[in-house]
Amino acid sequence: MQRELGTLPLAPALRARLAAAGFQTAQELLDTGPCGLSKEIGISREEALEALQVVRQECHGEAARTAGGSGATRKCTALELLEEEQTQGFIITFCSALDTILGGGVQLTKITEICGAPGVGKTQLCMQLAVDVQIPECFGGVAGEAVFIDTEGSFMVDRVVEIAAACVQHCHLIAEAQQEEEHREALETFSLENILSHIYYFRCRDYTELLAQVYLLPEFLSEHSKVRLVVIDGIAFPFRHDFEDLSLRTRLLNGLAQQLIIIANNHTSAVVLTNQMTTRIGQSQSTLVPALGESWGHAATIRLIFHWDNSQRLATLYKSPSQKESTIAYHITSHGFRDVQPPAVTPSTEGTELNPRKRPRTEEEKQ
Amino acid sequence: MASKKLRRAQLSQEMCERLSRYQITTCQDFLCLSFLELMKVTGQSYYEVQKLLCKVSRACAPKMQTAYEMKLRKSVNPSSAFLSTTLHSLDGVLHGGVPCGSLTEITSPPGCGKTQFCIMLSVLATLPVSMGGLDGAVIYIDTESAFSAERLIEIAANRFPAYFDSDEKLLCMTRSIHLYRELTCFSVLKRIMSLEEEIILKKVKLIIIDSVASVVRKEFDTKLQGNLAERSNFLTRGASVLKYLAEEFSIPV
Repeated sequence: MQRELGTLPLAPALRARLAAAGFQTAQELLDTGPCGLSKEIGISREEALEALQVVRQECHGEAARTAGGSGATRKCTALELLEEEQTQGFIITFCSALDTILGGGVQLTKITEICGAPGVGKTQLCMQLAVDVQIPECFGGVAGEAVFIDTEGSFMVDRVVEIAAACVQHCHLIAEAQQEEEHREALETFSLENILSHIYYFRCRDYTELLAQVYLLPEFLSEHSKVRLVVIDGIAFPFRHDFEDLSLRTRLLNGLAQQLIIIANNHTSAVVLTNQMTTRIGQSQSTLVPALGESWGHAATIRLIFHWDNSQRLATLYKSPSQKESTIAYHITSHGFRDVQPPAVTPSTEGTELNPRKRPRTEEEKQ
Repeated sequence: MASKKLRRAQLSQEMCERLSRYQITTCQDFLCLSFLELMKVTGQSYYEVQKLLCKVSRACAPKMQTAYEMKLRKSVNPSSAFLSTTLHSLDGVLHGGVPCGSLTEITSPPGCGKTQFCIMLSVLATLPVSMGGLDGAVIYIDTESAFSAERLIEIAANRFPAYFDSDEKLLCMTRSIHLYRELTCFSVLKRIMSLEEEIILKKVKLIIIDSVASVVRKEFDTKLQGNLAERSNFLTRGASVLKYLAEEFSIPV
């Protein structure tokens, strides 16, 4: 950075002008900037920029090495992003209404947050997603593995077995209807055992274990590169009790959110979090709002709120950058997360044609 | 796990000493600091701090298991997955009975039979496995003083006359039901925290708390300022300890 101007490959006329103005080292040039340089020497801004770029290139060899950045900042045009997004897969939820309002399913590289009162079906959806992420690509899935971080202890293996069995059966029916070779091959690996052995389960008892696990997650994900879904069931639970220092809590949560965003982006996986609801006591009435405060609301990209309406479960898309806010009804059956069956028995499309990756389902598969 | 001392996390001695000057002695303190603070405190570069973080995290992170391993473990011991309530329709709805390893909550308006149900479950838990029980002791934390030993014997004698045919068997059964009368939230919490050793010592297979609501409502009036936070604090702390006990020992609570 302290290189003399004489050693830089600049045009002689330019060099003469710089010497006349009193510039001696490359650092002074870079500090001035192109606008200041053009005013002082009397050259146009483009020429000044060119000169600076030459200087920078010469000196940059050593500088890049000492900076030692992580290289995580990528810049790309919106067109590249568009192409990336269009080829990206979604993790379907088996409830086509929910998939429709989400724009195809749970998106990879984004953080989705599911809030709801206890018992409304958050853990059920998480277990469903952990099975659905493993659906082979020829059936419309992303063929990935799942990491399940449980803080509340509500993960029931038997229930996952049920959901997985229903999913395998569904794929079998599609394969029989389509009769294609790749379907049969994929089905051989898509068995109950395989599904269960690709769900990596961590039980964190308090927030320290959760923090530790999230710090270790990038390493784990680089070893298991097929993981496409990280579920943290109950991110609110360890942070809601025993925390006198609320600023520490906010700081830890923000750090957690940042790490999760990095993980989601670097490993192209979806991150799904479940949150609890808390009561906000207003002037005249109290409303249910997602827990962990206002600042946590900025962490998730997509927010779903599950709630009851009499005895019907509803899901509302509360926050999304690309879809509009809407509410749909869903059911939890013995097979898992499903649509509410429409009263008429017409073979409606149910929005499956909107997703070109899904094979159209025939009558007998609509269980 | 969180209060693990940094010395045991395989950090070097001088590092531990340096950190203890800033009052950072446990893994919890270490992980609560931000990156910049860690760099300042340890005096190391960015990459070194990352490596340290990984080391400390590994010391307190949970172990990984796949869902398949969990299923295998469960299927090895199918009978111990549930405590059958001997009410067939209830067992059907619960897929086998009260599940072992998780918390089950029974709520109802007064007089419906919660305490009776709890007494019944205590009898069932002491039965041998061949009869559908858990063959173990029971810890009964009573906050309403509603537990009646006579009623216990009455239920046992009338329900399982073939098994409890002699007084001796009845006495043996009553000896394995340990009753604790706690009347304040604080003592309930203290009792729950001390249960771990008792469970191992007495081979306990069932924990019953009757009831949580009564002691909480007595002490915390939600209209007063600050009580709501304290109450939920107490409840969540108790709940997490109970969950830990249930999972660790695979017993119903």
